[in-house]
Amino acid sequence: MASQHYIQPDDDDDLDDLSIPGYTHPSLSPAEAQSKGKSRAVPDQLAPPSPLSGNIGSGYRAATKSTVAGVRVETRYTGEETLDEPVTATITRDLLSIYHKLLQVLYPRRTGSGREVLRDWDLWGPLILCLLLGIMLSINAPHSQSLSIFTTVVGIVSVGSLVVTVQAKLLGGRVSFFQALCVLGYCVAPLDIAALIACFVRLVWVRAPIALLAWAWCIWASVNFLDGTKIEQQRILLAVYPLLLFYFILAWMILIL
Amino acid sequence: MAYQSVEADEVTFLPLHPRGYYQPPTPGANASFWNLEYYQKYFDVDTITVATRCYTTLLPLSPSYLSAHLTPSPDLYGPFWTLTTLIFCLYVFSSLASSLTAYLSGAEVDYNFSLLSIAVTLVYSYGLGFPVLLWVVLRYFGVSEWSVVEAVAVWGYGQFVWIPVSILCVIPVPIVRWVLVGAGFGVSGYFLVANVYPVIATAEAKAVRGLVVLVAVLHAALALTFKVLFFSYYIKEIGESARVVLSDS
Repeated sequence: MASQHYIQPDDDDDLDDLSIPGYTHPSLSPAEAQSKGKSRAVPDQLAPPSPLSGNIGSGYRAATKSTVAGVRVETRYTGEETLDEPVTATITRDLLSIYHKLLQVLYPRRTGSGREVLRDWDLWGPLILCLLLGIMLSINAPHSQSLSIFTTVVGIVSVGSLVVTVQAKLLGGRVSFFQALCVLGYCVAPLDIAALIACFVRLVWVRAPIALLAWAWCIWASVNFLDGTKIEQQRILLAVYPLLLFYFILAWMILIL
Repeated sequence: MAYQSVEADEVTFLPLHPRGYYQPPTPGANASFWNLEYYQKYFDVDTITVATRCYTTLLPLSPSYLSAHLTPSPDLYGPFWTLTTLIFCLYVFSSLASSLTAYLSGAEVDYNFSLLSIAVTLVYSYGLGFPVLLWVVLRYFGVSEWSVVEAVAVWGYGQFVWIPVSILCVIPVPIVRWVLVGAGFGVSGYFLVANVYPVIATAEAKAVRGLVVLVAVLHAALALTFKVLFFSYYIKEIGESARVVLSDS
C-alpha cells in the first residue's frame, strides 16, 4: 500500500511541513533514495523499511517501493551506516557487487541465493563493459576510423539493449525494464574477453572460433534470463532473434578488426 | 438490501481463445498512444506466422500472396526485423565479399565502416519512411481502408528477398551479381505492385494510378543503389587482378 495519510479536518491550519502527506524530507530526495546505501538511515515517518522478503544470508534487503508525493520511489538499505566509511570501502562494495552480478550472468548457479543478486540492477557494470569493448575495438583500428568505430560500438550496444528490452516487453514478457537492460549489458562480457584476445592474436583461424564461442556464450547467458520472463513458448524464438543479431554484429566487428 | 452474488455472475461470456483458455480483454485496449501497451497488439504474432509471411513473399502463385493474408491483423515485428536483418546482411556480406576478393587478388583489405551507417539510413528510410509517405498521400486522395501498419508491413516483408540475394552476391563474378540483383528487383517489385495497386485503384481520381509507376521507379532506384554500394564496390577496384586470378585457375 502506498504510504498515504488522510488529512484530518482539524489539521487544516497546521503549517508544520512534516505533517503534510507526501512531503519529502530534504535529506531524502528521490534521487538520493535510489543510490544504494549512500544516504543516511531513512527518517521514521516517511518510508519505514517494509518487512523483508526472502533474501536469507545475503547483505541485501529487498528494495521497498512507495509513492511519495506522487512519485514512485525505490529505497534500498544495506543495513549499516555508510556515510562514515572510507571511500575505498564504498567503491569496493560496488565493485564487488558488479563482480557478483557478472559471475551470476556468465556462470549461473542453480541455488537460490545466486539469483537474488540480479534483482539489484545497476547500470555501471554494463557501462564499463560497453566502454571497454569500444576501447579495445578502436585501439587497433586505422587512425582515421577509430573514433567512428568507438561511436558505432557504444551506439550499437546501448541502442541494441534498449531495442531488445522493448521488444521483449512488447511480445508480452513480464520483465522489469531496467533489470532487462542491466542483464543484457552484462551479457556482453564474453565479447569483451574475445576482444581482449583478438587484440593480441592476428590469425583469423584463431579469432573466428573464439568470436563464435563468445557469441554462443552471450546468447546462452541471455536466453537463461529471457526464460524467466514468461514469454509464450511459440514466441520465444521471436524474442531471442534480436539478441542473435545484436551479438552477432558485435562478434563480427571483433572478427574483422 | 445487500447484493447477493449468484453463481451466474461467475460465468463470463468472453470468447474461448483457440488455445483453450479464457482470454482477458486485450491489454492494449485502453492505452494511449504514448504507452507501450498500445503497440502490443501489433506484436501479437507467433514465430511460425512471421516465418510464413516472410517466405510467402517469394511465391507469387500462393493464395495468400496479397495483403489479405495479413488477417487478423498486420504486425510490426516482421517488417522491422526484416529491415534490420537486411541491413546487417548487406553490411556483413559485402565486407565478406571484399575480403574474399582481396584474398583472391592478394590486395590489402580496407573495411569501410561508413557503409554501415549508409545502409541503416537507406534501408530504414525506404522501408519505413516511404510507405508512411505513400499512406499520407493516399489518405489525401481519399483512400481510407488502408492502415499505415499494413503499408509498413507490405514494404517490410517485401524486402525479404534481398537477404538471400545479398548472401549469394558474395560470388565475385559480375554477371552473376547483376542477374541476382535483377531477380531480387523483380520478385520484390512484383510483390509491392501486386499489393499496392488494388489499394491505389480504389481512389476516385484515375490519375492516382500513376502512383504505382512511382513505386516501381523508386524500387528500381533502390535495387541499383544496392548493387552499386554493396554488391560491386569492391570488385570494381580489384577487377583487373581478379580477372587475372580467375583466368589462371
